[in-house]
Amino acid sequence: MNSQAEHARAQDLERRIRVYEDMEKEDEWPGALSATDYVAITLMTLVLVVGFYLWGY
Amino acid sequence: MASHDVDHGLEAERGDTPLLPSERMWGFWEFSYANSALAIATWAFLIGGATALFVGPREGIAAIVIGNILGVLLATFATCVPCGKYGTEQFTFLRSMFGSNGSRLVYVLAVVFLTMGWLAVLGLMFGRSIDGLSGLVSAHQTDANGGLALASGTFAIVLTAIVVAKGPTSIKVFNTVVAPALVLIMGVMLYMILGKHSFAELMALPALDAPFDDKRVNFMIAVEVNMAAGFSWWPYIGNLARLSKNQRTAFWPNVIGIFAAAALGEVVGLLAAAALGNSDPTIWMTHIGGLVFGVIALGFVAFANVTSMINILYTSIVGLRQLAGRKLREMSWSLLVVLFCVVPVLIVCFAPGIYDGFFIFLVWTSALNSALAGIGIADYFFLRRQRLNLRHLYAAEAQSPYRYWKGFNPIALSALVVGFAVYVLVFNPQTLANTTLFSFISASLPSCLLAGLVHYGLTRVLAQRLGWGAYPNSDAGTIRTLDLDARSYSND
Repeated sequence: MNSQAEHARAQDLERRIRVYEDMEKEDEWPGALSATDYVAITLMTLVLVVGFYLWGY
Repeated sequence: MASHDVDHGLEAERGDTPLLPSERMWGFWEFSYANSALAIATWAFLIGGATALFVGPREGIAAIVIGNILGVLLATFATCVPCGKYGTEQFTFLRSMFGSNGSRLVYVLAVVFLTMGWLAVLGLMFGRSIDGLSGLVSAHQTDANGGLALASGTFAIVLTAIVVAKGPTSIKVFNTVVAPALVLIMGVMLYMILGKHSFAELMALPALDAPFDDKRVNFMIAVEVNMAAGFSWWPYIGNLARLSKNQRTAFWPNVIGIFAAAALGEVVGLLAAAALGNSDPTIWMTHIGGLVFGVIALGFVAFANVTSMINILYTSIVGLRQLAGRKLREMSWSLLVVLFCVVPVLIVCFAPGIYDGFFIFLVWTSALNSALAGIGIADYFFLRRQRLNLRHLYAAEAQSPYRYWKGFNPIALSALVVGFAVYVLVFNPQTLANTTLFSFISASLPSCLLAGLVHYGLTRVLAQRLGWGAYPNSDAGTIRTLDLDARSYSND
């Protein structure tokens, strides 16, 4: 570290990483994509791709 | 700069450190507006117009929906899902799979060249729209490469630089005002087209200039052009997603913006081109809505290019700051913005012909972006099981397990080369030469899949033996923590 600004940035980076490490430890991710989201994405994609293929081609 | 003067939230927003959930500014609708503002520009009309060359409107709508949903989803899984979870800058996150120097290489390939090109192309689109507008309201003789078009194109880049220099808050305000107006104008255009031609009439129209006799090949080229449009968001969307409040708001707005809003613009472009035989929006807008509506619509569409330019420039500058570490990080945000815009301005002034190579340029980008998406999905979802060690990501290069070989991960780079090569072998964007395989599964999908498989397979076989990447064991499912000191700067 060769300046005060770098030291402050390093401390800030450490603080940010700790926040995410705590979330990881607690396994608490508010608003994380769930299995329901992935099922919805898969169904939406299938309906759009198959539906429009059959309609358009 | 004294430490007490530093706003770390602002620095994180404009730099590479992870944004905390409490600092992220975009909710669902705000990211949807940003996404829509990014998606709607003259390029959407031109892609729609290009689709009309290969297939009729019915097949064209199907190609637009199929191509865009697949391209957008694969690009966002590889970028928005991890960046939305950890708030990391996209190219910093990329160190986990490409290494720190590999990430820089990808940045240069996928962002520096492409974004400078896109900024110039979008600036020229703005310039041509203004030139067209001027031709409508006065006796001005339009000239696509004339002084007014080029001066307006330069003005668009300068305006973009001013907004981006003020940071994401001004981008948010700009998007919130412009995006809903653009969607409304698109709806009115669609209504007007359908007012002049019945839906059945439009659906029965043929392709404008189908290149092959084989209907299936023409359809798949149309799908491929649209899939390229979907994948083309890969370099930009991760750094926008990290500004949204959580993973869900980082993902779903993409379906509204870069999928639905873009598809709407492309369908309008497709129908207008098919009905009027011309894909140039500066011409068909006045044919559809008359002089007054044409002038208003063209004015909005001109500025729509600026919103797209703003969003891609912001994400590129955020990525640029991690490219060369301290030197670029210490340079002022505004100066970086200005420097980045110099080359696009020169292209607009001295090489405006880049505009005419728009589609070839777009499809070539997919050869790179589809492989990058495949590697990203394989690495984040299947190898790392959606868990990143931020301490590894931000450790000094010499200590980080992401240093791989001299800062490059040869496995990911080999997978990238394989994906690119497969794409060009299956479909050559320059000549449209294609194999039988292309007519069934396009070129982007095999490129994405094979790049992902090569990365997954070689990593499983080699990376653990070589001690690269701190990947979790395939059976244990845990990540190795090396207790690294993240106080070190990234890219030192």
